[in-house]
Amino acid sequence: MDEQQAQELLAFLHPETRLDLKGHATQYVMGLTGGPEGRQLLATRPDFVEALLALTGDASGAVAKDAYRAVINLASEPGAHQALKKGLPTLLQRVLDPGYPLADQACAVLSNLSREEASCRDLLVALQQEAGGLAAVVDAFCTEGFNAKASLHYLGPLLSNLSQLPQARGFLLDRSRCVVQRLLPYTQSSGSSLRRGGVVGTLRNCCFDYGHHKWLLSDQVDLLPFLLLPLAGPEEFPEDEMERLPLDLQYLPPEKQREPDPDIRKMLLETVLLLTATKPGRQLVRERGAYFILRELHKWEADPGVLAACEKLILVLIGEEPGPGMENLLEVEVPAEVEEQLQRLDREEEERQQAASGSDDRQAV
Amino acid sequence: MAENEGDHEADLDAFLDKFRGPERYERAFSPETWEQEFEKIPMFMKKAPSEIDPEQNPDLACLQSIIFDEEQTLEEQAKTYKNEGNDYFKEKDYKKAVISYTEGLNKKCSDQELNVVLHTNRAAAQFYLGNYRSALSDVIAARKLKSNHLKAVVRGALCHLELQHFSEAMMWCEEGLRIDPKEKKLLETRAKADRLKRTKERDLRKARLQEKKEQAQKDSLFKAIEDRNIKLSPVSSKDGNVISASLAEMSLDGFNSESAIGAKVCLDENGSLSWPVLFLYPEHGQSDLISAFHEESRFIEHLMVMFEELPPWDTERKYYPSQLELYYEDEEREEIYQICTQSTLLQALQHQRYFVKAGTPIFFILVKLAPFSKNYFGGKKVHWLK
Repeated sequence: MDEQQAQELLAFLHPETRLDLKGHATQYVMGLTGGPEGRQLLATRPDFVEALLALTGDASGAVAKDAYRAVINLASEPGAHQALKKGLPTLLQRVLDPGYPLADQACAVLSNLSREEASCRDLLVALQQEAGGLAAVVDAFCTEGFNAKASLHYLGPLLSNLSQLPQARGFLLDRSRCVVQRLLPYTQSSGSSLRRGGVVGTLRNCCFDYGHHKWLLSDQVDLLPFLLLPLAGPEEFPEDEMERLPLDLQYLPPEKQREPDPDIRKMLLETVLLLTATKPGRQLVRERGAYFILRELHKWEADPGVLAACEKLILVLIGEEPGPGMENLLEVEVPAEVEEQLQRLDREEEERQQAASGSDDRQAV
Repeated sequence: MAENEGDHEADLDAFLDKFRGPERYERAFSPETWEQEFEKIPMFMKKAPSEIDPEQNPDLACLQSIIFDEEQTLEEQAKTYKNEGNDYFKEKDYKKAVISYTEGLNKKCSDQELNVVLHTNRAAAQFYLGNYRSALSDVIAARKLKSNHLKAVVRGALCHLELQHFSEAMMWCEEGLRIDPKEKKLLETRAKADRLKRTKERDLRKARLQEKKEQAQKDSLFKAIEDRNIKLSPVSSKDGNVISASLAEMSLDGFNSESAIGAKVCLDENGSLSWPVLFLYPEHGQSDLISAFHEESRFIEHLMVMFEELPPWDTERKYYPSQLELYYEDEEREEIYQICTQSTLLQALQHQRYFVKAGTPIFFILVKLAPFSKNYFGGKKVHWLK
């Protein structure tokens, strides 16, 4: 596509263009964004990105949807993020508008954009300036039927991505508010793996800072049962074990099912592992009978990655307490050569797993 | 006060009498009842009467008519009732507070802000009276007029909590936190409702699991009975209609709940049944209950134990185990069957015409060759052992 052709095409990508021409042009560009070359090409053309963004608000629903598809594709291309930044305020307002019919599409754009740290930061700034801040996102996420025409499941991954920013975590973990508590029930919501995965990812990010562990495990948040419940199956426990389990895990019905997505199961285990980084954390996780749940999970689990995470956690729980000065597992200084060796082992294990389960196309959040 | 001690003091008395009795000035307190009269003066009242009667308290009625002046605007009147309600509220007289706020609302004044306060305050008074539903409807009315009224939202959340509507309580808290994200009472109430909700859910799960287990036990019990080809007799319901045979199994439960004995057929871990069994001794109007008769036990084994010593009612001394005969009655056909005392309970129950009634097999016992037996059977057909 030379410059002249590009200019001609661009002229059609305009809300005022005749509907049929506009429709064809949008479809064509959408097709381009389907492949990596097309995306890279368009990423270098802010004028096209801007035109597409404008078309997402087109009066014709079909054109707007195609424009969204193109923008969603482009948002997976970091090179296009700078140009897409201009659309952030509008997109955010649309996502948080309960009456906006294409909110799911707008949400998918934001979810893709937020994967990259710089754009994620831009997104948070725009959110705070133009759209009521993170509180509005959490509210929309937690309000059932917030938008009658959109599920807003993509708010899950969006929240998870945002929670990688310390500023966002600061809000989520604000003890004078009730934010993270509202997200907890969604680790177990049956509807959408996007939502469950998003919340679990958010919680895992929140657990990286061990300064919050004590509070997260306290009665004020009571995080642990929400992490263990999706890992629990229908097994019955003897009375003495049952009594040690958190309330939410007692007397589960025979039809209780485990989290079906192995990636989410793995994240849940990793989150619990993070909570065992400090000595009081380990003690509490032990006291609440986490081991019984893990023991049953281990018997049932077929995914090698999840099994490995489960074993790692069990070892921490049943292992001996580390010596003085080493109690905080997140702060232990690992000698360089040991670290290198561990990384090599991890790499080998990953390769083994990939060979076993095929390539993992899921993008890390 | 002077006392009349003698005639020489009569003059003085006469003088003093002028100050008593009829010569007192008009509307003076009477010396006997001055305290009560004193308290009737509005300014010195220690307590206002609950109902103001113009006959008894003309002063008060007069003052009240000044406060609640008919010529005042509805807004002013409603406001006066609000203040009155607030005074009662402060005195923790919530019943009267409710009445005052209701009066205020009945004025239907156009000041919505005032109506919101009246509803919210009445909700609070109702709340303290334990009328959570009334409180809730006031809160809802207040929010209809002013949706972001935080006090009303907090009160609503507390009402739901008291009514054990935990999910609703949490929802109201979250709505309130949207207005003020750091409101302490709401944060606290939400956490409390959450905990109680999860506890209640656990209890529900536990109860449901328990129910399921009991049902499974019952099912296997009935299967065991069915497998043995033991027939349960259809029971008559209270109005005399015969309940269908499929409901006969209910009679097992029926027996358990109605009987003071509380014995019930049960299935042990080896898959054997034990029945409560009733022995009747018609000659003496006596009976014995064996609460758990293992189905493989023989009648004679029980009889040996029971009649090892002759019972006190056996005045003729003839109830020796070897002399006893065992029967059951087929009630439907009004026929009697004799059973060998050497047979097991299971064998007896599997008899083609044996029906277990009300969960408890019944047998009666007579003494061999006793004259009573002949009369007892009357005209009924008896199937003797061959």
